[in-house]
Amino acid sequence: MIVLRYSRLGTRKYLSHIDVLRDFGRIVRRADIPVAYSEGFNPHALLFFSPPTPVGVSSVAEYVGIGTAASSEETLARFNAAVTEEMRASEAFLTAKNPNLAGRIVAADYVFPFPADAFRPEEGLTLDYVKKGERVVEEAGDRIFAAGEREGRLLLTLACGNVTLRADRVFAALKERTGIAADIGEVIKTEQYVRENGALVAVPQWLKGL
Amino acid sequence: MKNFENRSFPLLSRAEKPARYTGGEWNAVRKTENVRARFCLCFPDLYEIGMSNLGMQILYSEINSIDGFACERCYAPAEDMAALLRSEGRRLSSLESGIPLKDFDIVGFSVQFELLYTGILYMLDLAGIPFRAEERGEEFPILLAGGPCAVDPEPFADFFDCIVIGEGEGVDSAVLALAAEGKEKGWSKREILARAKEITGVYVPALHKKGEKVTKAVFADFENAPYPLRPVVANTEAVHDRAVIELYRGCASGCRFCQAGYYYRPIRERSPEKCTEQAKAIVRNTGYGEIAMCSLSTGDYSGLHALMDGLRDFVHEKRVNLSLPSLRLSSFSGDIAQESRRSSLTFAPEAGTQRLRDVINKNVTDAEIDNIAKAFEAGYDSVKLYFMLGLPTETDEDIAGIAAICARLRELYFKTRGKRGPNISVSCAVFIPKPCTPFQWEAQISFDEMLRKQNYLRGLLRRIKGVSFSWHGAESSVLEAALARGDRRLSQVIERAYVLGAKFDSWSEKFDWEAWQRAFADCGLDMEEYTGTRDTEEELPWDFIDAGVSKRYLLAQRALAYEGVTTRSCREGCNGCGANRLGRCTIE
Repeated sequence: MIVLRYSRLGTRKYLSHIDVLRDFGRIVRRADIPVAYSEGFNPHALLFFSPPTPVGVSSVAEYVGIGTAASSEETLARFNAAVTEEMRASEAFLTAKNPNLAGRIVAADYVFPFPADAFRPEEGLTLDYVKKGERVVEEAGDRIFAAGEREGRLLLTLACGNVTLRADRVFAALKERTGIAADIGEVIKTEQYVRENGALVAVPQWLKGL
Repeated sequence: MKNFENRSFPLLSRAEKPARYTGGEWNAVRKTENVRARFCLCFPDLYEIGMSNLGMQILYSEINSIDGFACERCYAPAEDMAALLRSEGRRLSSLESGIPLKDFDIVGFSVQFELLYTGILYMLDLAGIPFRAEERGEEFPILLAGGPCAVDPEPFADFFDCIVIGEGEGVDSAVLALAAEGKEKGWSKREILARAKEITGVYVPALHKKGEKVTKAVFADFENAPYPLRPVVANTEAVHDRAVIELYRGCASGCRFCQAGYYYRPIRERSPEKCTEQAKAIVRNTGYGEIAMCSLSTGDYSGLHALMDGLRDFVHEKRVNLSLPSLRLSSFSGDIAQESRRSSLTFAPEAGTQRLRDVINKNVTDAEIDNIAKAFEAGYDSVKLYFMLGLPTETDEDIAGIAAICARLRELYFKTRGKRGPNISVSCAVFIPKPCTPFQWEAQISFDEMLRKQNYLRGLLRRIKGVSFSWHGAESSVLEAALARGDRRLSQVIERAYVLGAKFDSWSEKFDWEAWQRAFADCGLDMEEYTGTRDTEEELPWDFIDAGVSKRYLLAQRALAYEGVTTRSCREGCNGCGANRLGRCTIE
């Protein structure tokens, strides 16, 4: 299997996850990547995705596993010829088996358009949002694994995967707290992690060791 | 990407489905340099609907293939986005470059359907462009319209500077060339329009003199007509997300209610070799997992088997489905059904009895309806059937015939397939008399009669197991009929209805019947005047258009309808409709 690390920038960040899934079927077909198909009455291309990124949030660290016998160089080149600049893949990794990205990924880094001191771990973070017509107020500090700074902006490592903390909700809470008129379109996902022996390991590093 | 900040992007994060407004799709074209003139192709309905329209893709690709010309797109924003644009004081802009509509050289609307008329005003309103041509000075672009509704352009003629009657290939680009030349030479809009008027198919309402004829534009060399081999792939699920090939234009069947069947004549087929080549190229360029073979009656295409043979290996290798919309019962064969595995098949007998089918010239016999058994044999369990209520001369016996067909199919199913029972879904539209058909003089049945007939049929179908029934709204059918055969006076009604809140009229949940009723009343017009019978001696609002098929032929067909006499398919021999004056009918 080949895992591609691709981006979701510009107009692509406004696609919903379901639109991305649909688009990939077309991308691999027009890229002419020889992809394997599932068995059964309705065979589908063997494509495996990292957890969804919220609509409006950019990313340079999306991952997709493609069941193909093609080489990583060829898959990367073909993929990049079949997508717009905003979705280009930067790296391809060959893995012996399906790395189960959706199941293994536990965290992701996001850079927020706020100063680094907009969040202090000791203060926690209260989310207040509407889900299915009902107001939800919850404490989210325990799902923020780390806080730091990148180029003067706040960098947070959030739970992502089976236990998740949505970056759009964190953004809304921080926007409210700081009073800064930022736009969700300025949030960017920069890395995703799996947990190995209790420590977070960045996906590229992990894939190389598989 | 630099200009994203100048576009509606900050608004996007607040929109319900932002992917509708971002552009940036695969195969979208954005020209930044050496552009002599810009055309904005507008569709007066949502992105998901407009992106499925083949005509839009054809014109977009054709104009962008010409050096110096740029074509961009704009679709009607949903109401949440419209509210955002208004609250932020922004104007409706194109998807590709974010240029406000009013800064284009030409803004062209695709008018596919009568219930989209208010969508035009909705978009103009959001673009800050006055509705009426006479209110727009030199600072505004030329407003153009085209599409099937141009068969009777009078209801919206006052809104446009020019209207393309017939096929847009070669015509829209010719008008754009004049706009470019006019800009370079300093011509006034009127000077440009006076020249545009000389192009076949171009109707300029402001310069039109009484008694003048406008001849429908026909692209004669259909084999080599511009065709989008790199269609734009929608960002978000469109109604039809698939590669489309157009097998032929026109229709040989001559169903007497069918506007497309008459208006798109002469019949021009594209060779199966060309279609095969195009289908492969489109799949390679887009990655679509489905190829739809489109035409008004796909099973009648003379090259169908050659085409299927040409594509068989390719679709297998690429894992692409073939879809065959618009199959006629008479041309349906089981082997074709085998190759396009789908969950259900759709047929349109249109009427319940042989007598009524003869009246409307739907040359489908009871024996052919039995042909659906082949679909059951091929493994299908679901069949969708389209009918029309309120056809001329219809009686309750004809309606009962619809239920009889369903009962018959159920019986056939049990003979050929298992015990489970088929799913039959019956969908009933209301007959709407349309211009350029032998029924253009007919009345539409009254509103009360529509409800009575629908209820009667519902009662009959309820007794048959496995049959579901859906029907078109009576109110919107009345409105569609009133607008379809409208005259110039209706532009006031459309404008009034829009002011009263009517928009997205084709969406049943948005349809505002009260607004339309009030709009007619406020303008002192009676809807029934438009939906009623027309005298065959009377001059009709669209009589100035030469659509190819002669009025004499339509009248003769009307007489045959009342006698219950059918007319053979044009494939069996020319019936002399007159359309071949405008271009050679390739099946002759």
